[in-house]
Amino acid sequence: MGRYIIRRLISVLPTLIGVTFVIFMFQRLIPGDPAVAMLGEHATEENVARIREQFGLNRPLFLDREALLQGDLSGFFDSQYIRYLDRLIRLDLGDSIHRRIPVAETLALRFPATFELALLSMLFAILIGIPVGIASASRRNSVLDGVTMIGSLIGVSMPIFWLGLMEIMLFAVFMNWLPAGGRLSSGIEVETITNFILLDSLITGNTPAFIDAFKHIIMPAVALATIPMAIIARMTRSSMLDVLQEDYIRTAKAKGLIERVVLFKHALKNAFLPVITIIGIQAGSLLAGAVLTETIFSWPGIGKWVYDSILGRDYPIVQGATLLIAIIFMVVNLLVDLSYALLDPRIHYD
Amino acid sequence: MEEIRTEDMAVIDYAVREHRSLWLDAWRRLISSNTARLGIFIVGVFVLSAVLAHFFWKYDAKIDLDYSLKLKPPNLVATEEITSIHPFGTDKLGRDIFRRTVHGGWNSLRVGIVAVGISLLVGGLLGLLAGFYEGVPFSNIERIVFMGLIGLALGSLSAWIASQIVQALLFAGLGVVSVLWDDFLADRKKVRMALFAGAGLLLGAGPAFFVGSLVAVVCGLLGIIIGVVLSFPLGGRLFSNIVMRLMDIILSFPGYLLAIAIVAFLGPGLEKGMIAIGVVGIPVYARLTRSAVLSVSQKEYILAAQSVGEAHGRIIFRHIFPNILSPIIVQSTMGLANAILSAAALGFLGLGAIPPEAEWGAMLGDSYRYLTSGAWWAVLFPGLAIMLSVLGFNLLGDGLRDALDPKMRI
Repeated sequence: MGRYIIRRLISVLPTLIGVTFVIFMFQRLIPGDPAVAMLGEHATEENVARIREQFGLNRPLFLDREALLQGDLSGFFDSQYIRYLDRLIRLDLGDSIHRRIPVAETLALRFPATFELALLSMLFAILIGIPVGIASASRRNSVLDGVTMIGSLIGVSMPIFWLGLMEIMLFAVFMNWLPAGGRLSSGIEVETITNFILLDSLITGNTPAFIDAFKHIIMPAVALATIPMAIIARMTRSSMLDVLQEDYIRTAKAKGLIERVVLFKHALKNAFLPVITIIGIQAGSLLAGAVLTETIFSWPGIGKWVYDSILGRDYPIVQGATLLIAIIFMVVNLLVDLSYALLDPRIHYD
Repeated sequence: MEEIRTEDMAVIDYAVREHRSLWLDAWRRLISSNTARLGIFIVGVFVLSAVLAHFFWKYDAKIDLDYSLKLKPPNLVATEEITSIHPFGTDKLGRDIFRRTVHGGWNSLRVGIVAVGISLLVGGLLGLLAGFYEGVPFSNIERIVFMGLIGLALGSLSAWIASQIVQALLFAGLGVVSVLWDDFLADRKKVRMALFAGAGLLLGAGPAFFVGSLVAVVCGLLGIIIGVVLSFPLGGRLFSNIVMRLMDIILSFPGYLLAIAIVAFLGPGLEKGMIAIGVVGIPVYARLTRSAVLSVSQKEYILAAQSVGEAHGRIIFRHIFPNILSPIIVQSTMGLANAILSAAALGFLGLGAIPPEAEWGAMLGDSYRYLTSGAWWAVLFPGLAIMLSVLGFNLLGDGLRDALDPKMRI
């Protein structure tokens, strides 16, 4: 078990290096000179030269064989990619082009907003998706099952940005029940402790702020939760159906156990593994989906920032945010894999 | 007691039923399912309207502009104020949304088909080879080619450092030698390894010595590593591993994040979107194909084909490929749905079609700011088109999965 964990941790390394490589190569995709692209068409010569120097754009990409020829071994490894890795290790993701502030700092500042939204969405998706999946598996081919299957198929097919817009149209524009965007109404202040506004307002006992924050988060959270919810429900259903056909379930039923016990104690435990995998994958997709959802709801998280940066061609921000999301996704997948070893005693890894 | 009629007998008698091919059978099952029929219908409507509109109802987005009709709600009857009919209303430039939605379908479907084509071609081929050679050992010629290529690839690094092409060729040769001298010192692995390391040192440092002494040191060290690697009898498992680890890298980016990032750097454009979505989709097909190949590669008919000495390429394409076709078809159909969704997301972010080109996602991105001022029609209809077309492909994919499952055969 311990050996498996170590092996799995080591296996992440090559992938991690590959991911940094891909993200590093992004700037090669920029048409033309990256330094000019960063500064705009009308940049002065010296500014371009300064940027080239600052980002090491005048260095070779990977290895400097000219330096090696002159007998300079450290110069051989002094390349753009190595410098990039070196900066990454020091948690330096570069500076925003337009605002000249460190990307890592702003990412850390905006991350709680995204995390709060993603967490609540995941909670919705799990708390609704799993029970619905179980119910429709246990009543196979019933009306409930049919509604679930069609509903989940529509959910999977839903462009979440459009769903978000429809929510705004219904609940903010026509009904005027909920605010159309933002995280908190202006005029309401919350003492920041954790940067999760819902949590902070609870800790400080600030009920009006909590209600206001909840009103703001509910629409984006529902929009973001739709696809994971549908996928989790489908996965739970099909996994449960597989397990419910097993002999030991028939035995349990034959013993005269009540259905609830068979369903939750015997079936669910064994049907849960694939569901966990799917939850892990969906957790990552939530972060990707946040780019769209946050844009629509003007949610001040990472996703909205990425959208603004794409429009403004602020490349370091797109690079930094992509790297952060990819790493989070890798960690989640790692946890899912490790949880397999803990949850399923049948699996032996050594 | 009821009389037994001959018609009843005919129904019960499965054994003597007419011969039906797998595909005809699957088709019959497909059209007998209500949801699949709905899927076919939706897909048919979208495909036909997009294709027909493209060829018979020309639309030039560049000259479509009429400020006097800006953001008018849908009307089905012409009035004095608005003399033309706009069933879906008009957008911020007074363009008819119905017309643009129909024409936008052409772009969305095109992106979907090309993207899935790229993923399927590259991913499917990689998956086929990876899956096949994971279970089946390389033939001798394949081993020579494989080891030669590995030597060439690793050696080219050393060759690049010393600016000598000859090094890459020498290391490729070392790889070939390793295969030809397969059993040479095979039972004394350490000696063999040391021998190859020595050869690598010579090949790396020797030619590089003429370039510079430090270059020779670096290339020599590199040569030792390459030599050690080449001393092992590397095979299909390594190939499969390399491919799958590469796929893992792409899979480390959740959802369409990688596609968004790629196009964000490349700059907007429909073609770039197609390529980005296609690349991001490769691992899905590679993994699917690989696992499908693994599940059939130990079947008797494959073993039989091997034992009569059929060429590997022939086994892969004549025997394995037709038998793993159904999961690939299902995945491609659903992949089409996903690609359309991703394309719409790119368009919405302003990374898809370049304005004023009509594309569903871009139409949403254009109009969503007018939602708060009440222009719901400019957002409702393009989005509905995305959702329905994606739903259509998903329904069809679901139906195909049931229909192509041989266990369902009655």
